[in-house]
Amino acid sequence: MNILQSFKMAWRSIAGKRGRSILTILSIFIGIAAVMTIVSVMEGMKDYTRQQYSQMGSNKITVSIYSWMWDENGNSTGKDYFPDLYNYCNSISEYVLGVSPQGYVNATVSYGTKTTANAQYEYDEQTGRVKSAPPRSFYASDQYLIVNSYELAKGRNLTLLDIEDYHQVCVIGPEAANYFFERMNPIGKKLLFNGNEFEVVGLLSPKGDGTEFNQNDNVILLPYTTRRVLGGEAPTEFQVQARDSESLPIAMSLIGGFLKGLVDNRTGGYNVYSESNWQQYENQYLTMISLVLGGIAAISLVVGGIGIMNIMLVTVTERTKEIGIRRAIGAQKSSIISQFLIEAGMLCGMGGLVGIFFGTIGSLVLGNLLYHITIWPLPWVTAAALGLSIFLGLIFGSYPAWKAANLQPVEALRAE
Amino acid sequence: MARLIETKDVYKIYAEGLESEVRALDGVSVNIDEGEFVAIVGQSGSGKSTLMNILGCLDVPTRGDYLLRGTDVKELSDKRLSRIRNKEIGFIFQQYNLVKTLTVQENVELPLIYQNIRYDQRFDMVKDALEKMGIADKYKHYPSQLSGGQQQRVAIARAIATKPEIIMADEPTGALDSKTGNDILAFLKEFNQEGTTVILITHDNSIAAQANRRIRIADGKIIEDTGVKQ
Ligand SMILES: Nc1ncnc2c1ncn2[C@@H]1O[C@H](COP(=O)(O)OP(=O)(O)OP(=O)(O)O)[C@@H](O)[C@H]1O
Ligand SMILES: [Mg+2]
Repeated sequence: MNILQSFKMAWRSIAGKRGRSILTILSIFIGIAAVMTIVSVMEGMKDYTRQQYSQMGSNKITVSIYSWMWDENGNSTGKDYFPDLYNYCNSISEYVLGVSPQGYVNATVSYGTKTTANAQYEYDEQTGRVKSAPPRSFYASDQYLIVNSYELAKGRNLTLLDIEDYHQVCVIGPEAANYFFERMNPIGKKLLFNGNEFEVVGLLSPKGDGTEFNQNDNVILLPYTTRRVLGGEAPTEFQVQARDSESLPIAMSLIGGFLKGLVDNRTGGYNVYSESNWQQYENQYLTMISLVLGGIAAISLVVGGIGIMNIMLVTVTERTKEIGIRRAIGAQKSSIISQFLIEAGMLCGMGGLVGIFFGTIGSLVLGNLLYHITIWPLPWVTAAALGLSIFLGLIFGSYPAWKAANLQPVEALRAE
Repeated sequence: MARLIETKDVYKIYAEGLESEVRALDGVSVNIDEGEFVAIVGQSGSGKSTLMNILGCLDVPTRGDYLLRGTDVKELSDKRLSRIRNKEIGFIFQQYNLVKTLTVQENVELPLIYQNIRYDQRFDMVKDALEKMGIADKYKHYPSQLSGGQQQRVAIARAIATKPEIIMADEPTGALDSKTGNDILAFLKEFNQEGTTVILITHDNSIAAQANRRIRIADGKIIEDTGVKQ
């Protein structure tokens, strides 16, 4: 008997027993819908956390290099490792996008009467929100913008030359520009850092950080070498921006290896760290939740499967006579087996389709409730749900089908 | 005529060795040649259906050999036996045994489907068989919508659709009035004249009298065999 005929036959018997068919579909669709919802929501959640991390500056490596040597004033006498680190990072640019020191500039900044000395937070009288805060200054390399995802709106970035030649220039964020210059063009203006003149050469585009007064935009960036005039220790904290999450671990181990040869462990030490460790931990946690929920869903599927087996067994009993007739007029055992397997597979496949429908609704609703995002089930999840339900039908239909095929034709014929 | 069926000392014993032992067939040896019209008669419970089931490859003897065209059916796989039932034997039962959920057309089609015959060809074969039985106009009906006689015609159409070499009919007229019964018998005679071997089980002596040969069974044994009447 050919396959098309088998499908036609299975369809006839499914359509002929509507109540029973609906029950079978019911017993499978809940499990499938649950599995789909769980998998989709988990996938959505992973995606969501991944997004959160990339907003938080994921793929970023923090490198700290510290010295155990101090002078009589208690100042660290560590050497400036940045040029070496900079050159190394730029030599592995297939993994690394940029590197920059990370450190506050401890200086009073002023422009005319506007100064950060004793500056206070100002609050909006009506709303009570922060209206303005003193800008913060950072030592930077020419790659600071890349590392911290800034973009330039106007003027120019700090250059390698600025850094090598201690040029007293700075790049300013929009909030900070507003703080000192209000609506005036900041380019070319001169800010005083502890009385030293620094010319504003560039203005950053607003980046925002979701807070009321956008701290990320309230910044001033100086060539890190200008600490020669402003004072302070050699930078010890550096940020490295890896190209992507795949490059991150490679970059980390390369940099670690490089620093091992660079830093004398008798006078200092280093640490290469990334939030991605935490990310892994998060993912493990998610995997664990998926496993627990998946286990529950699997149990519901097994229960559904047993329901199907039960219904199929009843079907076989109900149709004993028919099986006897079919055997008498020449159906082989294999024809009977495929007839019942196809029927079970089709029924469960239909249950799977209904399950996919409700699973999609479940994913959308839960995604909205839990994360306020729209989670459409992934194509592979949908395909797997359909495959799984048909598979369940075949697995749990196989015993009833086997039983049907092995009925004694004579006995089966005698049934009523 | 070539030897079609040969049984050698066939037994069918239920619950053998127990107190409830039943010898449905108790050493039956019989030969049937191609083209015969054999009536098997006997009282209820004498073993007629049991014998027919074994001859029709629906059942196997407890002991003894059954050679179909010289081949011992014991040696045949389920697949081969299914093929034999499908192609070479047409069954007709007292209770018609139509599949209730299928239409007349589909019921007659069923053995042809198991033969993998193509749809258009199948359609013609079904039509021929139904027309021969004078029931072609009912092809869309379900068995429950037909009278007993009509259902038996459909069952016969199903049996002859594959053009089998043997027709085995187990009291095909048992549930019908004598007029309808005679019609059915006329069909069987016609098929026999066309060359089909017919094995007919019946209670009715007047029907048995119309066969070329009569075999009488009692308590699982053959007690009379008229042989082929010339
Ligand atoms: N599965 C079985 N288990 C036990 N005994 C059986 C079984 N099948 C048939 N028998 C017995 O075998 C004997 C022969 O039965 P069979 O059906 O062949 O009789 P029959 O001649 O066809 O009778 P009827 O004319 O009533 O149809 C009976 O005594 C019956 O009870
Ligand atoms: Mg009988």
